[in-house]
Amino acid sequence: MADLPPALSGFWVTFRTMFQKVVTEQYPEQAAKYPPKPRFHGRHQLNRHPDGLEKCVGCELCAWACPADAIYVQGAANVEGDRHSPGERYGRVYQINYLRCIFCAMCIEACPTRALTMTHEFDLADHSREVLIYEKDQLLAPLTENMVAPPHAMVAGTTEKDYYEGKVTGATTEQREEVAHREEAEEADEVVDAEASS
Amino acid sequence: MGLEEKIPSGFLLTTVEGLAGYARKKSVWTVTFGLACCAIEMMSAGGPRYDLGRFGMEVFRPSPRQADLMIVAGRVSQKMAPIVRQVYDQMSNPKWVISMGACASSGGMFNNYAIVQGVDHIVPVDIYLPGCPPRPEQLEDAILKLHEQIQQTKIGANREKEIAELEAKALVAEPVQDMKGLLR
Amino acid sequence: MTAQAEGEAADTDLVHAFIDGQPVSVPKGTLIIRAAEQVGVEIPRFCDHPLLDPVAACRQCLVEVEGMPKPQPACALYVSEDMKVKTQDTSTEAEVAQKGVMEFLLANHPLDCPVCDKGGECPLQNQAMTAGRTTSRYTLPKRTFPKPINVSAQVLLDRERCVNCQRCTRFADEIAGDPLIDLMERGAEQQIGIGEEPFDSYFSGNTIQICPVGALTSADYRFKARPFDLVSVPTTCEHCASGCATRTDWRHESVERRYAWEDPAVNEDWNCDKGRFAFKYLSENRLTTPLVREDGQLRKASWPEALRIVAARLAQAGSRSAVVTGGRLSLEDAYAYGRFARTDLGTDNIDFRTRPTSQEEQDFLASRVAGTAGPTYADLEAAPTVLLVGFEPEEESPIVYLRLRKAVRKHGMRVFSIAPFASEGLEKLSGELLATVPGSEAATLRSLPDDVAKELRADGAMILVGERLAQSQGGLSAAVALSEQTGASLAWIPRRAGERGSLDAGAISGLLPGGRPITDAAARQEVAKVWGIEALPETPGLNLAGIIAAIAADEAGAAAAEDSEEEYERSIEALILAGVDVSDVAEPAALQRAIDDAPFVVALDIRPTEVTAAADVVFPVATVAEKSGTFVDWEGRRRPFAITFPETQMFSDATVLSLIADNLDHDPAPRNVPALRAEIEALGAWAGERPDVPQVPAPPASPAGDNQTAVLATWRLLLDLGVTQEGAPYLAATRRPSVARISAATAAGLGIGEGDPVRVGSQTGSITLPVAVTEMPDGIVWVPTNSPDSRVTESLGVGAGATVSLSRPTDLTEGA
Repeated sequence: MADLPPALSGFWVTFRTMFQKVVTEQYPEQAAKYPPKPRFHGRHQLNRHPDGLEKCVGCELCAWACPADAIYVQGAANVEGDRHSPGERYGRVYQINYLRCIFCAMCIEACPTRALTMTHEFDLADHSREVLIYEKDQLLAPLTENMVAPPHAMVAGTTEKDYYEGKVTGATTEQREEVAHREEAEEADEVVDAEASS
Repeated sequence: MGLEEKIPSGFLLTTVEGLAGYARKKSVWTVTFGLACCAIEMMSAGGPRYDLGRFGMEVFRPSPRQADLMIVAGRVSQKMAPIVRQVYDQMSNPKWVISMGACASSGGMFNNYAIVQGVDHIVPVDIYLPGCPPRPEQLEDAILKLHEQIQQTKIGANREKEIAELEAKALVAEPVQDMKGLLR
Repeated sequence: MTAQAEGEAADTDLVHAFIDGQPVSVPKGTLIIRAAEQVGVEIPRFCDHPLLDPVAACRQCLVEVEGMPKPQPACALYVSEDMKVKTQDTSTEAEVAQKGVMEFLLANHPLDCPVCDKGGECPLQNQAMTAGRTTSRYTLPKRTFPKPINVSAQVLLDRERCVNCQRCTRFADEIAGDPLIDLMERGAEQQIGIGEEPFDSYFSGNTIQICPVGALTSADYRFKARPFDLVSVPTTCEHCASGCATRTDWRHESVERRYAWEDPAVNEDWNCDKGRFAFKYLSENRLTTPLVREDGQLRKASWPEALRIVAARLAQAGSRSAVVTGGRLSLEDAYAYGRFARTDLGTDNIDFRTRPTSQEEQDFLASRVAGTAGPTYADLEAAPTVLLVGFEPEEESPIVYLRLRKAVRKHGMRVFSIAPFASEGLEKLSGELLATVPGSEAATLRSLPDDVAKELRADGAMILVGERLAQSQGGLSAAVALSEQTGASLAWIPRRAGERGSLDAGAISGLLPGGRPITDAAARQEVAKVWGIEALPETPGLNLAGIIAAIAADEAGAAAAEDSEEEYERSIEALILAGVDVSDVAEPAALQRAIDDAPFVVALDIRPTEVTAAADVVFPVATVAEKSGTFVDWEGRRRPFAITFPETQMFSDATVLSLIADNLDHDPAPRNVPALRAEIEALGAWAGERPDVPQVPAPPASPAGDNQTAVLATWRLLLDLGVTQEGAPYLAATRRPSVARISAATAAGLGIGEGDPVRVGSQTGSITLPVAVTEMPDGIVWVPTNSPDSRVTESLGVGAGATVSLSRPTDLTEGA
């Protein structure tokens, strides 16, 4: 088409483009069609062991590694009847300030137990600063079928090491019973409280 | 708008509000205003691949008086702060602010004397957008959340009532420093 | 180098040696590891500690010494003439030896650094990172123990992490004198452990600090924070007059822990558990806004409103005001109170001594203590003989106790104590008791056994008097007389951190800052010049007892005037109380009545108390963590401390007073610490004449009690129900049990034995405690002043030396 007069060659470009494939991503209607790249750094997630216990040991190495000082962790001791992770220590408070976070993933590298990883979720925008400080309950990975929600005891007869070696594969009947029992008791308490207040 | 003054208060307003909100949200014009790296993503969002034109906001206005939305894209240095505020003041009502990225929202990793620790110290912010920088989809997401807010905006007597309610609520709200979460 | 080694340097020859080829000259008896430090060579070590005896337990400091067949521990070998030492820097042999030791130490050490409280500040971790191997050659399972176990309520032991360096056991044995932990078992099973008793030492926290691995950790600080996320501030302990340098670690506007900080002249490397663990009171249950009384109820008010009310009332009251401050103020705040009373109120009615006191004590302090520089810790350590009067060092000034113990161990200091019985602390000092019935200390002082008097004539001998001696009539007079007679130096050791500073700052009637007598025209002129005022009150005002009496007289006068419908002018219109705890004084009921009766009461406090509940206006003030300042320890040494929370919104006492002065439209008073310090420095100490020492004769010998009555002896234990120890459950669990001590004969007379309850009664109430039969004179009963089930001032309403009744509680129940 080099022989077209210069005045028309511009129109030709426009005309030709009409038959080309549209590059525009139809976000959010077709968001699923354009997933982020596999190593995209999205919102954090606190992982769980296969039986539902938390992997986080509250060691604060993520907070130490964070260049933006966006993470705040406070550990606490696991005690009989209030166990959240295998071993001695768990992260009682876990906060990430997403308005400080720069999604650099230094925290992920620092995590000694692989408790902290990143998801592909990125639609975090919100109306206030306070709600963008995510608490532990917002960051924890959802429970799968094999898991029950802590606090509950470790799988009977296992040690912390067994958890890390992958010898625990899911919640046992004992753990399920323990959690069900606890939840029942909590519900009963709520009923009592409700009656007392009414 | 001028319209709300003319109609009797409380009458027809829900429909008018909806209509006004729809009109407003579909023609948000952004002031051309890039401060740092986030601006690159913002520009990208305006390009063909992400195409903000789909939301009726392809026009980035270099003149604040013709703009409705300020996207603060990048860290705001102390020296830039008065200029940001001046641009905001020059915009005509109704106007909105998106704080794009960690630096604009809170200072991000630049917790130092040179950077304003969050642009909400100088202008009211409607949407905070995390990311460093946020990808264009994230900006689109923030814009859509803003659209939702614009759609819900009340006008006239309803707006006055809403302002009074919000103010009463704010007076008894828990101070941020007392929000401890799990802290003890 | 220790102070002792320094002292010897002058009169002994130096030995000359070479470390890594560098010549070094050190006094004889210097360890290689210290000599190496002098030439800048750091030899790794775990067990070595400059203040503990060498033991060479960890073997990490192995060095090559020319002429010796094998590597030698540098921490246990003294430098000798012409010795040639090669450290890991120059000798492969030493380096290989050290790496081998490191590998052995790590063979059984668990790799749980991420969850270990020592992680981040751990010598073992640091040295493993710098000098250790990257991988372990040991593949077999590690030795494990159940962990952690409590060796005491507040010290946790993790035996897996222990490297058996014995720092803790040596500290407990040598320094604290509480050998309650020791090595147990042999071989691979060797471990630290306790016997039947828990490790309830007053100094147990130090073992946590000196543990070079994470084997000993604190129950209180367990998993609270990591060292790299803490902000450290140099502070001074606010709990007693020892003046320990401490380090406060905080984050998120909350103090997480306190450590002892090194100060060779004062606390060396140590502090006591109270200083280490009692800090929760800083944040719990605080006053945050001013309160004013309206229709009989206190309500929250703004600062301007509260200040206006106070200024209006104080302007009315003027010199008919009185100020009472507790003994916990910093020097600057106490100075501000003294200045405020004299300049803005124009009164000298001020007293900081909210405890059992006497006029004799006030005269003694004015003549001998205020604004003087007395003997120091170094003098104390060097003293050949020390006489303790009305003073239990372990309970009332723990660092003085540690110094005494050090002197007893190093050069056999002789310690004598005038007390009703030989306390645990005195026994650990190998001290000798001069058994005395409370109240007759003066008599004992005036008729000391010849050998004690002779010992006190020795060069450097010291007499330490506690604040409790004020309760014993003639005691301080006799102590001064004894000191003048024998030449022994005299030191007054108060219990609270703020007492000495308040005294030097002039927060007491009759004394201006620096020990200036208010009756001296020259002294008044000096002060008036610095304060920029025309004149100061010329006669001494009322002290605490006087203020209480004046208010009582006012009340009676006002009541009488009301009956006859006349005008009555009160002598005290307004009372300002700062950090006062009613139960601290000898007669709490009288003080409470005075507070209730005073027409206008302003309270400045950090937390709600009985006093703030009765006040008309309450101002919240800053804790020591929220302000900077200075404490003055018993030596008269200034102990400055920095602000811990720089972003606090709280005002210090001095700032509040300056705000009141502003509202009174007076000249601005210094508002911040630098300005206050500048004024205090400008004033300096008084060089002129001091008042005479008190000459109060000893009272007639008080008869000891019979079977039904006894003379009360009492003092405060280090860990008790003090308000600053609130919120520290682990610390509270290591309190010594509350017992009533009586002699075997007295117990037999009552027909009760060891452990049985005994009832100690007075007109106002009684205390029932289990009996501990103690070797002591008959007819005396000792109970702790402020311990669980034993609150002497509140229950009995009397102090030491009073006669109380003794009985078997069963008698009562049978009767009822």
